[in-house]
Formats: sequence, C-alpha cells, structure tokens
Amino acid sequence: MFLEIFLFELKYALKKPSTYVFFSIYFAFYLFISLAISGVIPLGSSDSNTYMNSAVGNAGLYSFFNQNILALVHNMIIIAIMATAIQRDFEFNSHALFFTKPITKFSYFFGRFFGVLTIALFVFSGQLVGLLLGSVIGHNQPTVGPIHLYNYIQPFLYFVVPNTLLFGVTYFSLTTFLRNTTIAYLVTVIFFLFDLASGSVLSDIEYEKLAAMLDPYGNKAFQHVTQYWTPSEQNERMLSLTDVLLYNRLVWLGLAMGIMWFSYVRFNFSQFLKPVKVFSFRKKEESYSPQTPAVQHLSELPKVTISSTGKAFWNQLLFIARFEYKRIVKGYFFIIMIVLGAVLAYITSSFNSLIFGTEVYPVTYNVAAQTGSMFQLMLSILIIFYSGNLVFNEKQFKVDELVGASPIKSSTLVIGKYLGLLGSVALGLFGALITGILIQSINGYYKFELGQYFASLYGRTFVSLSLLTALCFAIQFIVSNKYVGFVISFIIAFLSRIIFSQLQIDNPLYNFNSSGPMLQYSDMNGYGHTTPIFYFFKLYWLAAMVLVFVFAIRFYLRGKEKGLKARFKFSKFDSHKQFRLATIISAVVFIGVGSTIYYNIKVANKMFSNKEFEKLQAKFEQTYKHFQKTSQPRIVSSYVEVDLFPDKLGAKFKGFYYLKNKHKKAIDTLIINYNNETEVKSMQLSVANKEIINDKDFFVNVYKLATPLQPGDSIKLDYTIDYLKKGWFSNSGKSDIVYNGTFINNFLLPSIGYNEGFELGENEARRKFKLNPKPRAASINDTASYANTYISKDADWIRFECIVSTVPDQIAVAPGYLMKEYTKNNRRYFHYKMDSPILNFYSFLSARYEVKKDKYKDINIEIYYNKGHEYNLDRMINSIKKSLTYYEKAFSPYQHRQVRILEFPRYATFAQSFPNTIPFSESIGFIAHVDEKDPLSIDYPFYITAHEVGHQWWAHQVIGADVQGSTLMSESMAEYSSMMVMEKEYGKEAMHKFLKNALNKYLIGRATESKKELPIMLAENQQYIHYNKGCLIMYALKDYIGEDSVNSALSRYIKQVGFQSAPYTTAKEFVANMKLSTPDSMQYVIKDLFEDITIYENYVKELKSVKLPDGKYKVTLTVGAAKFKADSLGKSKAVAVNDWMDIGVFISNDVNGKKVNKELLLKKVKMDKPVKTFEFIVDKEPTSAGLDPYNKLIDRSPENNRCKFGSMPTPPDLDASSSNVSITL
Amino acid sequence: MQLTISNVSKTYANGLKALSDVNLTIAPGMFGLLGPNGAGKSTLMRTIATLQDPDSGTIMLGDINVVKQKEELRKVLGYLPQDFGFYPKVNAEDMLHHFAVLKGINNKQERKDICDALLHQTNLYEARKRNLSEYSGGMRQRFGIAQALLGNPKLIIVDEPTAGLDPAERNRFHNILSDLGENIIVILSTHIVEDIKNLCPRMVIMNRGQVLLDGKPSDTIDQMRNMVWKLMIDKTELNVYKDKYKVISAKVIEGKVLIHVKSNALPEAAFSVVEPDLEDVYFSNIL
Repeated sequence: MFLEIFLFELKYALKKPSTYVFFSIYFAFYLFISLAISGVIPLGSSDSNTYMNSAVGNAGLYSFFNQNILALVHNMIIIAIMATAIQRDFEFNSHALFFTKPITKFSYFFGRFFGVLTIALFVFSGQLVGLLLGSVIGHNQPTVGPIHLYNYIQPFLYFVVPNTLLFGVTYFSLTTFLRNTTIAYLVTVIFFLFDLASGSVLSDIEYEKLAAMLDPYGNKAFQHVTQYWTPSEQNERMLSLTDVLLYNRLVWLGLAMGIMWFSYVRFNFSQFLKPVKVFSFRKKEESYSPQTPAVQHLSELPKVTISSTGKAFWNQLLFIARFEYKRIVKGYFFIIMIVLGAVLAYITSSFNSLIFGTEVYPVTYNVAAQTGSMFQLMLSILIIFYSGNLVFNEKQFKVDELVGASPIKSSTLVIGKYLGLLGSVALGLFGALITGILIQSINGYYKFELGQYFASLYGRTFVSLSLLTALCFAIQFIVSNKYVGFVISFIIAFLSRIIFSQLQIDNPLYNFNSSGPMLQYSDMNGYGHTTPIFYFFKLYWLAAMVLVFVFAIRFYLRGKEKGLKARFKFSKFDSHKQFRLATIISAVVFIGVGSTIYYNIKVANKMFSNKEFEKLQAKFEQTYKHFQKTSQPRIVSSYVEVDLFPDKLGAKFKGFYYLKNKHKKAIDTLIINYNNETEVKSMQLSVANKEIINDKDFFVNVYKLATPLQPGDSIKLDYTIDYLKKGWFSNSGKSDIVYNGTFINNFLLPSIGYNEGFELGENEARRKFKLNPKPRAASINDTASYANTYISKDADWIRFECIVSTVPDQIAVAPGYLMKEYTKNNRRYFHYKMDSPILNFYSFLSARYEVKKDKYKDINIEIYYNKGHEYNLDRMINSIKKSLTYYEKAFSPYQHRQVRILEFPRYATFAQSFPNTIPFSESIGFIAHVDEKDPLSIDYPFYITAHEVGHQWWAHQVIGADVQGSTLMSESMAEYSSMMVMEKEYGKEAMHKFLKNALNKYLIGRATESKKELPIMLAENQQYIHYNKGCLIMYALKDYIGEDSVNSALSRYIKQVGFQSAPYTTAKEFVANMKLSTPDSMQYVIKDLFEDITIYENYVKELKSVKLPDGKYKVTLTVGAAKFKADSLGKSKAVAVNDWMDIGVFISNDVNGKKVNKELLLKKVKMDKPVKTFEFIVDKEPTSAGLDPYNKLIDRSPENNRCKFGSMPTPPDLDASSSNVSITL
Repeated sequence: MQLTISNVSKTYANGLKALSDVNLTIAPGMFGLLGPNGAGKSTLMRTIATLQDPDSGTIMLGDINVVKQKEELRKVLGYLPQDFGFYPKVNAEDMLHHFAVLKGINNKQERKDICDALLHQTNLYEARKRNLSEYSGGMRQRFGIAQALLGNPKLIIVDEPTAGLDPAERNRFHNILSDLGENIIVILSTHIVEDIKNLCPRMVIMNRGQVLLDGKPSDTIDQMRNMVWKLMIDKTELNVYKDKYKVISAKVIEGKVLIHVKSNALPEAAFSVVEPDLEDVYFSNIL
C-alpha cells in the first residue's frame, strides 16, 4: 500500500510541468554559474588558486541557495513541491475518497511524504547535473580541477539532502495541519531572518561556534570548519563530518526527524478533517431569530446619486485605499513582518558595527540606515505578497463577479488598492522609526534626529518602495497567476541587481529602481550633492512605472474573460480619459529624463564595463610598455596652488615641479602622465622641446628635449590642470570633492615616466590579451627596482609648498606648516610649506572643521573634526602623545613639529598617514563607543591613531624599495609600534583579543589567497600578511628576544636607512639587522617568522588539577606541539618541533560581568618532543590551562591551545597535508 | 426601457458553444430563465452583466450598448451571481458600504441611508456587525440581494439564487424578490421550476445555448392542456415506454414509476390525462 501511494505521488508529480520547470531552473542556474566561474563565459577575470569543483568548492556553490535571498526562493520551491502533498486532497475535496479507503495512516502519510521528497531531490539534483556539465565543458580551464564524481555527490549528501528533509518536513507538517500554506511561507521568512541574524552574530569571532550551530542550512558550520583550509587543502580534501559541522547536521537532522515523528503520531484521519487554527476565532453561535421583513417596495428605498468623476473619483479612490489599508494592517502577516523587522533590526544593531568588539555610538544615520534596510527588506516581501493578494483578492474570495459588475473603473479600483498598500508601507516605515528610536534609547543615546529619520525612511526608502509596488502590481495584472507573479516580482526586486552585475550590465537606465550615484549619509556632508540626482532617477522610474502601469491595467483580471488577448479586448472601453494625458506626459518625461541621464553617464562621462576597461589596460601596455626602461628625471620639488570648489565639486591646480636628472646619462625624452579625469590646460617645460605624443585616450604626453638634460641638471615643469565635474553627474558616484569633506591627493597631478600601475593586474585577464604573467611585485633580488620607493616611482624626497583655497566657511589643509591665511575675492587661502623633505605623497582636505589643539613638548597636536563628533578626541590626543613618547624614545626623533588628524566623510573607512597629516574616516574612530568597563573591548580610536602616527616613522622616515617585502617596514612596523603603545596603556590581557583577531584574519586571508602566499619578508602588498601576520610575528619576536632588543635593532636600522636615497632598503636588510640583536639560540625564530611560512598545531592533550593538603593545587598538563612549513599554496610539510613556547594556567574572574582570564602561571618551556607532560603547583583553583595560550605562534587551530579543567580536549588534526583523509560519514 | 438581446453567440476556448444566436426582448417585470445545468444561462447572465463579451451580437438596455458602454450599464445594474463570496474578516455593514462606493454612491449620508434601508429590507440589520464568513447560506443570499439593490438599479440579474436554500429561506427570498418593482427588469435564472412558477409572469426555457420556448408560464401550460398523460408502470417497463412514447418525466413513487407522456391523443387506454404544470412544460422542452 505504501508503495502504491508513493508511486502514485511520483507519477502525479512527474506529469506536472512544474517539476521539470523547477529542475531546469536549478540546472540552468548552476550551469551558468559554473561556466561563468570557470571562465567559459567571459565575464571579468580574476585569479584564483582554488578549483571551483573541489568538494569544498561545490559545497560553496550549493550553498548559494542556502543563503540570503536565494534561500527564500529555494524554500518557496520546496513549499511548492512538498508542502501540499496531503493538503491538496482537501483543496480538491478528494480527501473523502482516500480516507474512506482501507489504507493505513502509515502508508498514506509516509507514502505521500517520501513521494514528494523524492521529487524534491530529483528537482535539486539539477544543481549537481548543472555543475557537473559546467565543469565538463570547462575542463581545460585553469579554474577547473580534475573531475571526481564524489566531489559533487558528497556535499549534496551533506547539505542538500538533509536540508531538503528538514525544510520539507517542516512545511509539509505545517501545511497538513493548518491546511494553508501561508504559515509555511511565514516560516520561510523566519528561517531567512534567522539566517541573517546569525550572520551578523558571526561577525564577532567570539560567537562563531554558536552561529555555526544556529544555522539550519549548515553553511556557517561548513564555513567555520573550512575557513582556515589553505588553497591546496581546499583543492584536495574531502569534507569531513567533524566538530561543529557534525553537530550541526545531527541537531538539525534530528529536529527534522522529530518533526516528522510528531506529525506522524499526531496525524489522524478524523481530526484532520478540521484544520488546526493558529489564531482561533471565537465562533459565535447563531443567535439570530428571523423576523418578518419590514416589507418595503423597492421604490420606497432612499434615492441615491451615482457618480464616478471629478470629486467622486477621489472619494472612491480614498475609500478603497482606506478599505484595503485596514484589511492589510489588521492582518497578522503585516503585524508579523513589522515585529520581525524590529527584532531583526535590534539584533543586528548590536553586532553590525563592531570593530574589534567595540561598538560605535548609535548615531542616527547608522541606526536609521540599518533599521531602514531591515524594514525595507520586510516591506519588500510584504509588497510582493500583498500586490499579488490584492490584485487576485476578488477572485480568491469569489467577489470578482460582484465587483466586476459594479460601475467602478478598474483603474480607480486598483489605484485605490495600490494606495492602500502604500499606506501600510508608510505605517511600516513608521514602525522602523519607532524601532530606531527605541534602539537608540536602549543604548542610552538620546540625540534623535527626526529630520534624518524622515529623510531616510520616507524621503528615500518610501519613494523606492512605492515604485516597487507599482511594478509588482503591473506584473500581477499581466500574469494571470499570482504565484507566477510572486516569482517574477521577487526576481526583479531582489535578484535583478545581482544578475545584472554578474552580466556586467551596469547602466542604471536598465536597472530597475536605480538611484543613480548615491552617497551614504554622512554627518559631515549629509546626502551631499546626490539628493537631486536621486530624485531625478526616481522621476525616470516614476515615468516608466506610469507607462507600465497604464499599459498593464488593460490586462487586469476583471470579469470572466480568460487569456491576455481577450482581457485586453475586454477592457477596451474601460479606462480614464486622463490616462491618455498621463501616458503622453510620462512618455515625454521618460524620454527626456532618460536621455539626460544617458548623456551624463555615457557622453559627458565615459562609462567602461570591466571588460572594456581590461581591453583598455591591455592596449595601454602594448602601446607604451617600451617606455618602461626609459630613464626619467625625478621630481625634487613640488609647488602647487589648489583652488577647491566644494560647492561645484571641482578643483583647479596650477603648479610646477622641478625635475632633476639623477642618472649618469643625459635624458632626451620626457614622459608625462596625467589623471584620466583631469583636463590639462597647459603643460610647459622650461627648456626647448617638441611634443611627440599627445595621447588623449591614455592620457600620456611625450616630449623630446632639444638639448638632452645632463646628469645633475634640472628643468622646471609648469602645469595647469582642471579637475571639474563633467555634465551633471557620472555613474561612478565620486566622493572625493563634496560639499563638506573634500579629500583629494596628488594622484590627480601629473606623474613622470611609464605608468606601470595602469597595467592589467590579474593574470587570468592578461592571458586573454596574450600578455605575459605579471608578478605582483618585483623580486627582492631585483636591484634595479631598488631605485624607487614602493610609494612613488618618479620621486625620492621632495620639497613641498602649496597654497590651497576654498570657500569662506571651510578650512583647507595640506601637509606642511601654515605660513599665512588670508581672504581674497571671497575665498579663503591657506599657504602651507614643509621645512623638511617628504615623500611625493600629499593630500588636500577642506571642510567646515572645528579644531581641537594640544601640545606635546614642542609638537603641536591638532584635530580637525566635525561638530558633534567630540566623543573620542581626547583618546586620539592621548594616543598621539603616548605614541610620540614611545617612538621618540624607542626609534628616533620625530621629524616634524606638528601632528594633525583630519576627519573626512565615511565614504571610505580608513585612516592614512601623510607627512604630519592624518586624514581619518568619520566612521572608524570618531563615533566609536569605547566601553571602559568592558575588558574585552578594544579602544580602536587609540589604536588606529597610534598606527598612523607610527607611519610617520615607518614610511615617512624609512621607506622600502619597490620590491617584495617592503610593506614589512611600513605596515607591519606601524602595527608593531601601535601594539607596544597599546600594551603600555591597556596591559597584556588586552592584547589577547587583539592577537586572536589578527590570527583569525591571517588564517582566513591565506585560505582565500588568489595567487600565492609568501613569507612576510617577500610579501607582495598582501594585507593579511603585512598587517595580521605582521602583528603576530613581531609580538612573538618581542616575546622571544625582549622589547629592548627589538627596539634597539629598529633604532639602529632607522639610523642606517632613514631618509636615504636610492638604492632603497629591503626587507632582507631589515631582517639581517634584526638578526644582529638576536642571540644565537633564537636565530631559528627569525627564520621561522620572517623567512618561512611556519604553522603550528599546538594543543592540550590531557589536563587535571588536584587540591593539595596545603590548599594549593597541583596541575598535570600534557600538551603536544607539531610544526609545519607551508608552501605558497598552503601545502604543508611537518618539521621537527624544538621550540620555546609559553605554557600557562589561568583562573577566570568576573570583571564587570565579563569572564576574564587571569594568569596563575605563565612560563616558557621547550617543546623538544611532540608530546610532553608538565606539573605545576598553583595557589588557586585553576579553570583553564594550555600551551601557547595567547596564540603568539601561528596556529592553524587556535582554539585547542587552551582547555578548561573538567572538559575533554578535542583531538588535533596532525596531518601535514590532509589530502588523503579517508571519507567518514 | 427594455433589454434587447440580438443574435448573441459565445463559444469558449475549449470549443464549448455556450450561446448560439440568442434573441430575446425583455420588458420590465420579473423574467424567468429556466434551464438545466450547463444550458448557457450563466453565460448569458454574465454577458448581460458585462463580465464577458459575446463573440457576436448586440445587447441593448434602452440606449445603452452593453458591450461598449459597460460602465453605463453597470450604473443601472444589480447583479447577484450564482457563486460568490466575501472578504474574510469584514462585517456586513462595511462590506455593503464598500459595494456602495464601488457603485458610485459617494455621498456619505445617502450611502448610510441606503445601506441601512437595505439591511432592514433584507432583515440583516441586527446582524450587520457580524463577519460575513459567519453568515448562514440564506443570510448570505439576502446580503447578496441587498448589494444588488444598491443604487436604484434598472436591471437586476439574479443567477440561481435559491439553490441550496432550505424551504423557509427560499420562501423568504421569494418574498424579497417579489417586492422588486414592476418598473425594472428582473432576470431570474434558475433550474428550479418552482421559482419561476411563483415569481415570473414571463419566462424562457434554454438548453444547449439556445432559447427553446418563450412565453407566459400560464400560456405555456395552457398549450400543453390535454397533451400530457400519466401511467403507473413497473421499473422494468420504463424502457419499453420510452421507446414507444415521448416520456417527459418519470418519478419513482412507492417502488413504481409514474410516467408523464406527451401526446396529442390518448396513447393507450391505461393512460389517463393529467392537468399539465410548468414542470411538464420544462421537461418536454429540454428533452
């Protein structure tokens, strides 16, 4: 019997076209994805070290449908396939036929369920088939590895099958019991929110494991288990069900089984005839006794006037809008969406803005944007759902004939519905406002800026949502099935942008509801100049939507006609006369606004797609590469007058360079590049010359000098350059010159020599243009490259002077000392001059600044900030003082007489060190909310300031050659410097979280390396190496040889190479110098840290503590250590361990409600055997212990270094290269 | 004002010919449209009610061209379809106001007056605050007629209004219908002969998309006088009689079968003449 029902179900589903449609959707999606990633379909090309079709790769691809918005689509398909297997019998009223047959509950229930499950798995196997076919087609592409069938099947078994079971059984049970799929859809949304929330929880590494468990799809567990896998491991290893992945799968699969069992037990034929009501309505008994009607003749009925034009039209419209509005906002769907939006906004608000575990103040723009985006998501779903429901309402509830036969115009009716839905959206956004204010209040922040809430929620979000609503309505008019309408609306609302960006269609004219070049809200600049542009784009879409709406309304399902054509014909005489006018006006607006946009983004400003840009880069290289070796004079002095026009978003430059021939040969050719967005007004050399190339496509001018420039001689290059806005706006949304908060640098000025930076970087792309692969950096042994610093290829140390002018209410700042400030022609001028040589690297800023001043010895400290952002100024000043103190003592004297920090808008989130001038983003320090009481929160305004001040030494005193490894002497050393200042200020414990963070980022960084990982001495501007590994190894080195030894080596090094001229220093020299300060016994450490990629696997094997009679505790600790050397792909080789390491015993104390570990014992031990046992006596009862507990060494599984007493240590994975791991299910 | 239906035909996409060349002229008063299920009644009703377009032919209500001036017609139309429902969680009063607005009754006071009057008229006033989903079948039907009467219609179409009602409710409903004025056209479509008999001074019988008979019920009965004969027979004999005579109905009574036969003269001696009723007219036409 079971088999019969099962087979019946299969046959039934296999007859339905939708089964094949769904299969094809998955198949096509994955075929496209794999062809695109493998490079068969050429989109933008990027390099990768990993195969797309490894087990890990495939698992990642399968997970596309397990996250974000695609998960919603996926779940809707599961509902469509699986949820109605039993409920269907009721819809078609065939249940009686089944229930009266002698079938068992078992065979009916499970026959149906496994039938649809099988179908669902068949449908989802489209993913596997698509991927497989894609990799077979692309098998000769470098991104496609050897094709092993099990690589496709294993992740399918681990993720797709259990997830289908879990979600399928959930929706199936819900729908069976409630006899309604609405709740299933709602649960889908809840799962989706769960996923989002756990995603934001995950962003703090403290909660990673929790998030990994909470994710029902198993994605985050998968990511957690494989996040540190190196490229070679990713390519070769199979997945293993261990650790959180195993528990995650077990827990959720168990839950699925539980739900299935529960539903089966509770399912029973007779109960089932009555659906379970979630929201039970009190059923009133019929208490009404019929009376004899007060018979009236029809003619006695009151007379009424019937009208539908003019005022009556508005009357009807508003009445219908109100009617629908009430029905929506009273519905539980609306209420749940709002509550979910609020909950989600609250949850994410406490995690999203964490930097190093430290919050930012809940300033209104942050809260409004975050809350707004959550509500926007919820309301978009609401809009899609209700636009379908409202359009098909009459039909669904069989009111269609009553309404259809009434004289209301279809257009009045649906516009009324449209307004009703918009009303509920407006109410929803009011919910967002209240939520935002609550979030701010809960965090003790009471500066509510209501105007900003309104501008953001109603001025922007509401406008966009109302256009979306119009489109969803139009879609529903045309399709005659609301579910099809849902899918189409959904794709347009959520996926079109992703699809378009994948296809590199970045023209906003095609991208529904595009907003033009947007600027984020900034406290400094507000929405800047983009507000009118935003509304201009919305006007374009409004016109488009009116046209679409007026057209689509003709297909509105009124009456009983079926088919598009019949409906179109049927509505022939039913439309407003005003529609013709609206159509004409909209068409005119659409064309007018559209062509204005087109002119601005395509004609006035060129817009390149990635592909076009790659082509351009390749052509540039092919044309001008021969100039690379042409010797060029170098800039020795720069003088520039900059006129900034923040109100007009432009700048004008007039200045000169002195160029000196520092070579031993005469120079007769001068190559000058200018920025592609600038316009050269004049370019004048001080000697006779001939312009031989003036290439406006590649922005290159080449001059032949009449008399060659002799060694040691100089010439003067005068230039006038305009950097002005072209047209009204461009598509790129530039944010360098804005109304308030301009930040530009000297990259806008001419540069000398062949511009290597414009070459194509990605080797995958270079291959297409038949260009040789390009190294990321020159070899450390390439002495020719020692001639340049890695910052500038056309200058060494220069003299610098400038006059910057701006609008009268702003202060303009550039590197140097203020010589004079004056006002002329209603503009404010600032004259700055440097008194010592600087790198050819300077910036110009202008804003309505407040200035806070302080002094350290003779050094002026100034912070230029936006009014209202006073929160952390003292921390920054304190950091500057502490940094100057430490660095002057440890390294060398400070070369300037001032330190200035300048706030700039949050369009970029970094701080950058120019000579004595540090632009610092609004969002990364100025609004940080450092919690003094929280021992785990990091004072990052302090830390970033120390890092940037450190750069005044490491980059602005010592600068490495333009070869591998040079960022060691800038970024890594700035990290080291700031860590030392930080440790002095906040103590050793504060470093633990910091190091843990660095280790995590380093391990993830190497796992996602797209070319090759290198030892830090050879790093090629790889951030995870020079920042994160840099921190770790310098801290470890300091630990091994002592802070004083490190610093003495550093100060010696600065003395040697500070302010040097070419040839510049390299990391080899740095490391050699460090070796001098290192005792012989520790020389191996230098090699491990700087010259190799060394990875440890340190772990606790066993631990116990026994209370001694004297009240002390005896701790027995068995620990193990393994050591590996890795190659550039992360393939590792075991080496003998013979290292000094920390061993520690800890007690956990509560500090302000947070658990903080305190050392009971910490000492260095020599791990000269893979496993060793140690015994210690400690004073208090210990809570945890471990080997290298502070993660000073780079450990591939950092969390097993420490273990709590009383818990079982997790066994480590000691394989060198885990390519031969057996498959365990 | 009268309703003129000329040469109206309609064929559905699946090939079903629902109306073929229907011609009718309907004057004010109660007009019955009798026919079995699937006769094309609902299609005709919906076409007149502007919910469908005919493939060919014209329908005029006075000066109003029903196909081209749908809105004009709808202003004077009251329509109670065969199968209808209401929005969930909306009470009768709100729903009626909603329909009133759709009708174009925009004056607030007028709207309130007419809605109250109609709720009284249909005896639903006390139940006006209850959700329609809780209404019994008869109450729903009465509410349906209330909404059809909104806005002083000149043409009222009621499609199978009494199907599924118990006798008491049906009576109540007939009472309401019979109150409708004589100055407006009321088309009552039904397959229940009794409805027509009780209410309609004029009727047509339809089957397979065609009008088979058009006239006053009493006239049509008169025409059948002395042409209907009855006989009690055994069940087994039914086929024999069916072959021999035009059997218009066969009712099982106490195990035997009572047949009515249409014939101009006495078919057999055993037969006796019966006074024809509308049912005989109906069955003799649709066979």
